[in-house]
Amino acid sequence: MLAETKLKTLQQLVENLTKEELIWINGYLSGIVTTSSSDQLTKPVVGKITIAFGTETGNAKKLAADFASKAKKAGINVKLSSLDQYRLVDLQKEEYFLALVSTHGDGEPPAAAKNFYQYIHENALQLNNLHYSVLALGDTSYPLFCKTGEDIDNKLQSYGARRVAPLQKCDTDFEADANAWFENVLKTLSVGTLANGTPATGQIKTRSKKNHTGTILTKINLNDTISSKETYHIEIAASDLTYEPGDSIGIIPENPLEIVQSVLQLMNLDESKRFSYKEQAFTLFDLLKKKLNIVYLPERVVKKYADIVQQEIPPTRIDLFNLLKIYPLKDVAQFEEIIGILEPITPRLYSISSSLLVHPDEVHVTVARNCFTLNAEVHHGLCSDYLMNLPENSSFEFYIHKNLQFKLPSADKDIIMIGPGTGVAPFRAFIEERDATGASGRNWLFFGDQHFTCDFLYQTEIQNHVLTGALTKVNTAFSRDQPEKIYVQDKMREQAEELYEWLSAGAYIYLCGSKDPMSVDVENSLLEIVQNVGHKTKEQAQSFFDQLVEEGRYSKDVY
Amino acid sequence: MSQKVNLSPIEKIKKESHGLRGTIRESLLDEITGAIREDDQAVIKFHGLYQQDDRDVREVRAKKKLDRLYSFMIRLRLPDGFLRPEQWIATHEIAGEHSTGAIKITTRQTLQLHGIFKSKIKPTIEAFNRSKLDSIATCGDINRNVVCSSHPKQSPIHEKVFAYADKISEMLMPKTKAYYEIWLDDQLIIDKKDEEDLLYQDRYLPRKFKIAIAIPPNNDVDVFANDIGLIAIIENDTLLGFNVAIGGGLSATHGNGDTYPRLATVIGFCNSEEKTLKAIYEVLAIQRDFGNRSDRKLARLKYTIAKYGIRWFKDELESRIGFMLEPARSYQFNERKDFYGWYQNDKGLWYYTVFVENGRVLDNEKVRLKSAMLVVAKTGKANFRFTCNQNLILSDIEEKYKIDIQNILESYQITTLTEEASAIRKNSMACVALNTCPLALAEGQRYLPSLITKIELLLDNHGLKEEEIIIRMTGCPNGCARPYIAEIGFVGTSSGHYNLHLGGDHQGQRLNKLYKESLDEASILTELDKLFSNFKSGRQNGESFGDFAFRQQRNNWS
Repeated sequence: MLAETKLKTLQQLVENLTKEELIWINGYLSGIVTTSSSDQLTKPVVGKITIAFGTETGNAKKLAADFASKAKKAGINVKLSSLDQYRLVDLQKEEYFLALVSTHGDGEPPAAAKNFYQYIHENALQLNNLHYSVLALGDTSYPLFCKTGEDIDNKLQSYGARRVAPLQKCDTDFEADANAWFENVLKTLSVGTLANGTPATGQIKTRSKKNHTGTILTKINLNDTISSKETYHIEIAASDLTYEPGDSIGIIPENPLEIVQSVLQLMNLDESKRFSYKEQAFTLFDLLKKKLNIVYLPERVVKKYADIVQQEIPPTRIDLFNLLKIYPLKDVAQFEEIIGILEPITPRLYSISSSLLVHPDEVHVTVARNCFTLNAEVHHGLCSDYLMNLPENSSFEFYIHKNLQFKLPSADKDIIMIGPGTGVAPFRAFIEERDATGASGRNWLFFGDQHFTCDFLYQTEIQNHVLTGALTKVNTAFSRDQPEKIYVQDKMREQAEELYEWLSAGAYIYLCGSKDPMSVDVENSLLEIVQNVGHKTKEQAQSFFDQLVEEGRYSKDVY
Repeated sequence: MSQKVNLSPIEKIKKESHGLRGTIRESLLDEITGAIREDDQAVIKFHGLYQQDDRDVREVRAKKKLDRLYSFMIRLRLPDGFLRPEQWIATHEIAGEHSTGAIKITTRQTLQLHGIFKSKIKPTIEAFNRSKLDSIATCGDINRNVVCSSHPKQSPIHEKVFAYADKISEMLMPKTKAYYEIWLDDQLIIDKKDEEDLLYQDRYLPRKFKIAIAIPPNNDVDVFANDIGLIAIIENDTLLGFNVAIGGGLSATHGNGDTYPRLATVIGFCNSEEKTLKAIYEVLAIQRDFGNRSDRKLARLKYTIAKYGIRWFKDELESRIGFMLEPARSYQFNERKDFYGWYQNDKGLWYYTVFVENGRVLDNEKVRLKSAMLVVAKTGKANFRFTCNQNLILSDIEEKYKIDIQNILESYQITTLTEEASAIRKNSMACVALNTCPLALAEGQRYLPSLITKIELLLDNHGLKEEEIIIRMTGCPNGCARPYIAEIGFVGTSSGHYNLHLGGDHQGQRLNKLYKESLDEASILTELDKLFSNFKSGRQNGESFGDFAFRQQRNNWS
């Protein structure tokens, strides 16, 4: 098929490539193929819309989900969101925005729409770029029928937004009116009488490990108050971001102020005194706060310390303050020597839980508060606490850490994602990305945690993805909701037949979360499933599994 | 243009539910939500379950990307509100293991547990079933729990009347075996014929249906608030039969003038069990055939009667039952209250009525009522009865064990609780409302106790402390706590606001009237203060507050 010169060039190129590079090129090419072929189809003029719903009874939600999947079928990319989860500041960035909202009680917005309603009533907005339409649900037996929808419609118009379809009010038998409204909206969106929005460019820019300054936009503890866990969903804004689902961000945490201060006080040292560390000069404060690891020193550092102070110190992890207090220096001058043996604060990596296509100029992470016991005391992880304690709107430094081993396959491939706890993070990005690109492959998620009611991370997002079809199948395991413990691997065994079927049909399988014991148990279960369902010997199952790895169809990101 | 009647969506759900099965099994298997599918939410009511969610935490959870905190309420089928002690123990344990822990006595003589998560429904029903208890048809468009005057001191033939409640309940049960199949894994070979339901067919009733039996002179069941009310006619300790009243119902909708509370109309007398049961059956059948199936707000029997007329209804009934109803016998209601404390019946057995504020049996910092009732149940010497005023009667206690029970009640300060509660508190009632009832617009049982405390002070100021005034509160206009036949009725309109109704009587034979709309607490207390002052100075000989208010309404307020 290729002309000889082209073929030769290709062969030359391929010859010298590593396997990872080949896999990458494979994905790259299939990306080109998908993009160019879809370009040939007649696509609607509008490529992307937001459908937001404010519901009390679930009707608006049901309609919204229904419309979202219809729009998708028509080739339009849809962001579906409940109004109480919709980030209000995004409204000014929207181009196409459909609101489905009910009216409750005496002309009041449903609880889920209250903040949105207040926001547009209390702020003077510039919405000249916004095209919108409102579907109002109500009950004609109430005097202020569809009041909330009416108010929103008027308000948006007063800010310069243009209607793609007039306000549609619906009574309790809303189906026909609602469908007609949406047909009308779809028609307008496809005809192209509207100004073209700037298409989002999904182009991949050159990779570089550069530092970004991030601003915390939102920080939410995803666990309900009764949970014993704390898991933070953190949304970070930054410019010039380039990353792909599966990548991580690296963060160098700072030491807690009180620890820095107690060391300074103990040593009676001036915090502005300058010291040199690794051939750079820093103030003592900056060194202790931002550069040096002074909490939970590794044993090797403790040993070096013991040599300097010439005392016997049992091998243990201890922080600098206690070390200085229990095994004091001979004189303050020795402190400079101590600085020389301290190690720099190491960066911590967090899997990115967002897709850049869905959240331009943002990166999201999912951070569990790390609790551990050391010398019979409960301690918290340095970095998780650092992030947790950063207030909204504050800034910090981070960088993108590429993870080429943990990438989505081509659009038509099925994927199975196993991500209990914070292991779900990269899969949130996977699903968002596949949803945004309209990937045709099926998506199956296994999630697990302690309790269904309080520990189901991203529950409503996952539900919405199931409603719109972005997620084909979800299975959950909550270990502490019943007398016997149930984990993701148990759910996998329950689904053995279907799991094997997916794998046999070429599905890619991804695993993220704690290394031990989770990843070990999951791998053993996978082998067991392959052996039992595929009627294989232990050895055959192992080689089936090895082949998965070889073909790049088994990836894990465990910690 | 087609003139076809536009059926309400629920009608379609019932018809296509395969004998009330719906897709409940599939809903239970859905791992990502604590809710069940929307259509199943209608079907599951027929199994005595309501899906609810904790409305207090909706907003917080939405921010956390967590779904609403869904759980289920289960309501038992307890015709005439009776439990043996071992059944109370079982209920106590089930409540602790699978629900919020509180046992709620309802306004219709049964028990409810709240806060059961989806995954715990089956274990809950299985556990009840082991104690021979079920929740079949306690919600939904079907005959609900049959209530009956509760205090056996009422009459020596009380037992006989109780038996009617059981028979009626049994006769009006749905024929489907779905309950056993879904919840108890009964592998029945379903013979379609066994499930054929001549009464309910596949459409059931257009709306809920309530039946009550009253034994005059006490109308503790609020007999006229029911779709069918039976009034026992007793002469010389012989049960002659029942007056039959039809078309009561209290629910209304704010802002919908076509809806209204209505008291049942007495249409005649039946002198035998056979005739009484037949008449009841056919009233349901007429309602099945003629009730409004397009607008659920206008679907209760009262609206069918309003549409066709009481005369037509009686004719239709008589032609279906094949005999004429006798003229109604005379009867006299004097009160509708519970007899707190100890009473002995004609057979020498003892009864202690415990005051249970708003029907909530639980342990709190003041009194450990739930623990006390468990200890009583464990003696095995008392049965448990529940009243339509949400109280609890420890029943059928032999003389020799009375002292044991008394000791338990005293040591847990239950006697003090019952004796020292004020007259108005003991006459008050509130529905569940927030935070679980999806219909609630305002607080109910969580708020009324503190309001009563403030009203007690007002009454005390006017020297009216001992006055028996019936006060009832609901968080919405649907009337679960029967506020429209209270002397003072509060009907929630929005958070912290209530319509104030005045003028019901002590016997439950008169609807009250809306006096002021949407009052907050301060305005409620100001209004009541004025009213009590007027009552104190303007009441006629022995006149009750409700009668006084009614007279004022006729004179001045129009």
